[in-house]
Amino acid sequence: MSAPLTGRAAGLWVCGHCRATVRARAGRDGLCPRCGGTIHVRKPHSMATTAALLLSAALLYIPANLLPVMDMRTLFDDEQDTIMSGVLSLAQEGSWPLALLVFIASIVVPLLKLVVMGWLLLSVARRSRGNVLHRSKLFRLVEFIGRWSMLDVYAISLLVALVQMRSLAMIHVGLGALAFGAVVVLTMLAAQSFDERLLWDANLDG
Amino acid sequence: MLMRQAAGGRSDVQRGLDMASMIVCHACDLVQRVDAVMDRARVRCARCGAEMYRTNSASVDTAAALAVTALVLLLVSNLYPLVSLELNGNLRDTTLLGAAFALYGQGYAPIAALVVLTTVLIPSFQVAALLYVLLPLRRNARARAQNEVFRALTRLRPWAMTEVFMLGALVALVKLSVTGHVIPGVALFSYGALMLTLSALASITPTEQFWRWVQGSRA
Repeated sequence: MSAPLTGRAAGLWVCGHCRATVRARAGRDGLCPRCGGTIHVRKPHSMATTAALLLSAALLYIPANLLPVMDMRTLFDDEQDTIMSGVLSLAQEGSWPLALLVFIASIVVPLLKLVVMGWLLLSVARRSRGNVLHRSKLFRLVEFIGRWSMLDVYAISLLVALVQMRSLAMIHVGLGALAFGAVVVLTMLAAQSFDERLLWDANLDG
Repeated sequence: MLMRQAAGGRSDVQRGLDMASMIVCHACDLVQRVDAVMDRARVRCARCGAEMYRTNSASVDTAAALAVTALVLLLVSNLYPLVSLELNGNLRDTTLLGAAFALYGQGYAPIAALVVLTTVLIPSFQVAALLYVLLPLRRNARARAQNEVFRALTRLRPWAMTEVFMLGALVALVKLSVTGHVIPGVALFSYGALMLTLSALASITPTEQFWRWVQGSRA
């Protein structure tokens, strides 16, 4: 069986905006005849951009989990919640399914994203050929679920807005929430800047 | 090799619209041929399984109607309170923007901006922009800067998070129900309806569908 023909080899490029297949002009970046967007054979500087975004996200992941995301003060006590302690208190209050949901969205998803994206970048850097289909599917999964981590940010913002009874109870946002929001945004950007085709390229060039 | 095969068997399969037939997968870069293009199709890459494109038989009118519905729901969702909390005789409610203001008031402008962008501004822009490009198509005209607007729309898609917000609101309600008495507001229901409307709108306006409409209107 002959090697599959790639768009790059055939001089057929895909528009990153509207996904039209376009005949490349002398291998240079050009404008898409259908939507007018700039077409690249691969996303420019994909590896470097993704690595930089991912590294920033990984660093911020530490304060996002260690610092309190909110702080509730009532007449009697002052309770600081990190993301994890928020999940635990939700579980204790009797809502197991919801606690599990927040645990997945806020703890599992960001970690999974960091680990998977890091592994994918390494696999491309090493030009590894195995499990391409697997890696490709894993990337799509991680790209798809990333936005669900915002769930906690929304929950916190509603809590902060509603619990504002000065003398009785007050909720303040914590720095952890800022770091957490940044992790979500940075990992989403990292997934967007990653060019999935790089996973497949190693199988053909070698 | 594949190219010649493609050219060879072509006449047998030339049914209906012949959309240049060679297509490259955006996810794995494989060149392949799409034989017949039906009205309602989901075309997946033969090698990596990525959805290359999707079309349906929905009309511009249906999309425009859904967009108008979403616009009304957006208005209601932002004018009325999402939820009220009663705590020891004190009643407090908040709108969506009110929640963002609270964050801003506590010195967390970036999170406030993130919340407003993903739940209010980007969904509103999406709906308004879609109407802006779709309405002229009904008269076989083109909106000014149509391509730029549609490219922005495609790019912003992952950043509209109405469904994520709904789940976040649910989590907040459950947490608050321990503290005091929680009363869901009008906006919570309209936001739920907005979420459904927007997902229906997204499913009938995949990128490829829009460009088919553009090409169809010029013919």
